[in-house]
Amino acid sequence: MKKFLALLLSLVMVLSLAACGGDKGSDTPDTTGEPTETEEPAAKTVKVGLICIGDENDQGYTYNFIRGKEAATTALAAKGINVEWVVKYNIGEDSTCEDANIELAEEGCQLIINNSYGFEPFMLKVVDDYPDVQFIACTNQGSWNDGKDNTHNAFANIYEGRYLAGIVAGMKMQEMIDNGDITADQAVIGYVGAYSFAEVISGFTAYYLGAKSVCPSATMKVQFVGSWSDATEEGNAAAALADLGCVMISQHSDNTSPATTAQSRGVFHTGYNNDMISVAPEASLVSTRIDWSYYFEYAIEAVANGEAFDQDWCHGMDMGAVVLTDLNEDIAAPGTAEKLAEVEAALADGSLQVFDTSTFTIGGETLTNAFALDTDGDFTPDAEEAVFDGAFHESYFQSAPYFALQIDGIEWLNSAF
Amino acid sequence: MNEQKTPLIRLAKRDSMEPWKVWCIRGSSFLAAILLGGLIFLLMGNNPIAAYGTIISGSLGKNTAIRQTVKLAIPLLGTALAIAPCFKMRFWNIGAEGQITAGALAASYFALFWYDKMPPLLLLTVMCVSGAIAGGLWALIPAFFKAKWNTNETLFTLMMNYIIIGIVKWLQGGPWEGRPGSQIIPMFDSAAVLPKVFGVHCGWIIVLVMTVLMYIYMRYSKQGYEIAVIGESENTARYAGMNVGRIIMRTMFLSGGICGIVGFIVASGANGTLYDGVAAGVGFTAITVAWLAQLNPFAMIGISGLLAVLEKGADTLQTRMAVPASISDIITGIFLFCMLGCEFFINYQMIFRGKHKEVA
Repeated sequence: MKKFLALLLSLVMVLSLAACGGDKGSDTPDTTGEPTETEEPAAKTVKVGLICIGDENDQGYTYNFIRGKEAATTALAAKGINVEWVVKYNIGEDSTCEDANIELAEEGCQLIINNSYGFEPFMLKVVDDYPDVQFIACTNQGSWNDGKDNTHNAFANIYEGRYLAGIVAGMKMQEMIDNGDITADQAVIGYVGAYSFAEVISGFTAYYLGAKSVCPSATMKVQFVGSWSDATEEGNAAAALADLGCVMISQHSDNTSPATTAQSRGVFHTGYNNDMISVAPEASLVSTRIDWSYYFEYAIEAVANGEAFDQDWCHGMDMGAVVLTDLNEDIAAPGTAEKLAEVEAALADGSLQVFDTSTFTIGGETLTNAFALDTDGDFTPDAEEAVFDGAFHESYFQSAPYFALQIDGIEWLNSAF
Repeated sequence: MNEQKTPLIRLAKRDSMEPWKVWCIRGSSFLAAILLGGLIFLLMGNNPIAAYGTIISGSLGKNTAIRQTVKLAIPLLGTALAIAPCFKMRFWNIGAEGQITAGALAASYFALFWYDKMPPLLLLTVMCVSGAIAGGLWALIPAFFKAKWNTNETLFTLMMNYIIIGIVKWLQGGPWEGRPGSQIIPMFDSAAVLPKVFGVHCGWIIVLVMTVLMYIYMRYSKQGYEIAVIGESENTARYAGMNVGRIIMRTMFLSGGICGIVGFIVASGANGTLYDGVAAGVGFTAITVAWLAQLNPFAMIGISGLLAVLEKGADTLQTRMAVPASISDIITGIFLFCMLGCEFFINYQMIFRGKHKEVA
C-alpha cells in the first residue's frame, strides 16, 4: 500500500511538472482573447454572429470585415442600437461552417453573417431550422433567389475601385514611357489572381480597362495561384511576373506578399483589401477595398427595427461601399489625384461605364451579347442580357460578379485553377 | 550494485495490478486533467467552474447540442473501430485519413452522377459499398507491399493520405467543380443524403452496429484470433501454419473498408458534398481513441463520446466566453496527455534508489 501511495505521489509530481509547462503555453493565447465589448445598455440590442474564414491577423480579407464590424458598431451606437457581436474565427469552408451557424443561432443571434464565398452551401443547410434568424452569405449568389425569406447575399461594386486603381497604375506606366524608362510595349501589368473565378476575372478586367484608358499600350499577364490566401505562392507568382518583364503588379488574393515582392524587384504595385503602403512604401501606389460597414449598418438596423432588408444588396462608390485607400503621393504620377476625382465623378453620374464595350474586344470582335445569370444550375449563364446601352452591366442583375470573359490584351499564364 | 551509480528512479515493467488500483490511477489522472485544465482557464481570466459548466451545457445541454456532439463522435468511433484490428496485429495503419477520403470519393461519384438513375435506397447502398471497396483497396496497396517486400507500413500508409487528398483537390478544381473557378463541388441531391433518425444522420446506427460486429469479430472469430496471434508473435503465427502475408492484406482491406464506410457516412450524412478536408484529422484522432480504449470496441464508444463532448463544448466556450479556439486544443491535449500518461504508470513501476530487494 505504501508503494502504491508513493506511486500516486510520483504521478502528482510528474503532472505538476506538466502543469508548469502548461502555464507557459497559455501565455500567448491570453493576449489574443477578444476583448468583450461592454457598452451601455441601449434601447435596442441586436445579437449578431459573424463567421470568418480567417482572423484579423491576415491584414487583408477578414481584417477588412473586422474593420467594417467595428465601424458599423460605432455608427449604430449613435442611433441608439447596441450590437452584441459573437465572432467565430478560422472557420473552414466545410461542415464546420454548418456547425458554426447552428451554434450561433442556438446562442440567440438574430443575424448571422458568413464572410466567405464557400460558406453559403453549408449555411443553406441550416436556414430552414431557424426561420426567425436572418442569414447573410457575403460575396455569394445562391441565397437571394432560393425562395427563402431569411437568406441574403451582399457584395460591393469592387470593379469600380479596381478600375480606379488601374488608372493610378496606367498613369504611372505612361509616365515611365514618357520619361523613356520603358518603351510603350514594355508597359506590362502582372496580376496575381486567386482562381479563374468570375469575381477575380471581373476584377482584373476592370483593372486592365482602367489602366488602358490612360496608357493605351498597356497589356496584362495573369498568374493564378490556386488559393485565396497563400502568402508564399502569392509572392512567388509576383516574382515570376516581375521576371517576365511586368513593371506593375496587382493582386486579387489575401496577403501583402505581392506588394513586398514588387518592392524587392523594383517594380510598382497596387493592392486589395488593405492599405499596403506601410509594407512596401517604394512600390505600393494605392489599394482598393470594400467598406462593409455601410452594409452591416443597414442590415443590423433593419433587424433591430424588425424590418425586412434587401436579399441581394450591392452598392459601390455611390454609397462609399467601395473606397480607394490613400494615394502614395511620393511615387504616383503627377496629376493622378485630379484624374481620380474626375473619373469618380463620371462613374457616379453614370457618364462613364467600366465595361464600356467600345473599349475592349474579345477575339478581335466587339462584345454584343452575354448572359448574366445561370438559372438551370449548370453553371453557365443563360438568362438576362448583360450587354445593353453600350456596356456590359456588371453586378446589375445580382450582387455577385458575373463577368467571366477573356478579353484581348490580357494573357492568362495558367488557368488550371 | 554500487549505490552511487544507481539512478534515483528506475523503471521496470509491471507484471499485473489489481483492477481497483488501475481504476484509482485512471480516476486520479482524469482528476488531474480537470485540475490542470482549470488552471489554464484561471490563467486566462475565466472561472474554471463556469468554463467546465459551459463545456457540459454546450455539448449536452440541449437536444440540438447533443445532436451536434453525436455527429462529431460518429466518425471518431467508426475510424477507431477500423484501425483496431490493424493495431491488434501491430500493423501501424496511420492511413485512415486517406482511406476515409478514398471512401468519400467513391461514394461521391455515385452521389453526383448516378443520383437520378436509381432509387434512393439502392443509391445509398451502392455509395456505401463503393466507399467500402475504395477505402479497402486504398489500404490494400501498402498491405500488399508490406506482405510482399516488408516495406515500412507507417510511412507508406501516411504517404497514401497525401496522394488521395491531392486527387480530391484536383477533382474539386477540375472535372467535378461546380461554378467555374470556385473550387467547390456542388451539394449532393437529397436522394444521396443519409436520412436522419432522431435529428442526426443515421450514420450513428451504422457505427453502433459495426461496434458490436467488430467486438464479435475480434473476440470470437477465427480471423480475430489469427490477428491476435500475429500481433503477439509473427513467428509463432508462421509456425502454426498461418499465411501471415494473406492475413495482413485481409485485415488491412477490412480496416480500409470500414474507413471507407466512415468516409461515405461523413460525405453523405454530415457534409452533403466532397472536399479535400473530408477526413478532418479524424484518421489521426481515432488512433488515440483506439489506444485509450485498449482496442475494446465498447470502450471506444465512451472515449469517442468524451472527445466529442470536449470538442463541441470547447466550441461553445469560444462562442460564449470569447475564449480563443486554441485554448480548447490545449484542454483537449491535457486530457489526452493525462489519460495516455496514466497507462504508463499502470504498465511500469518506479524503483527508487536505496531499495535493494526486487519489488513485487
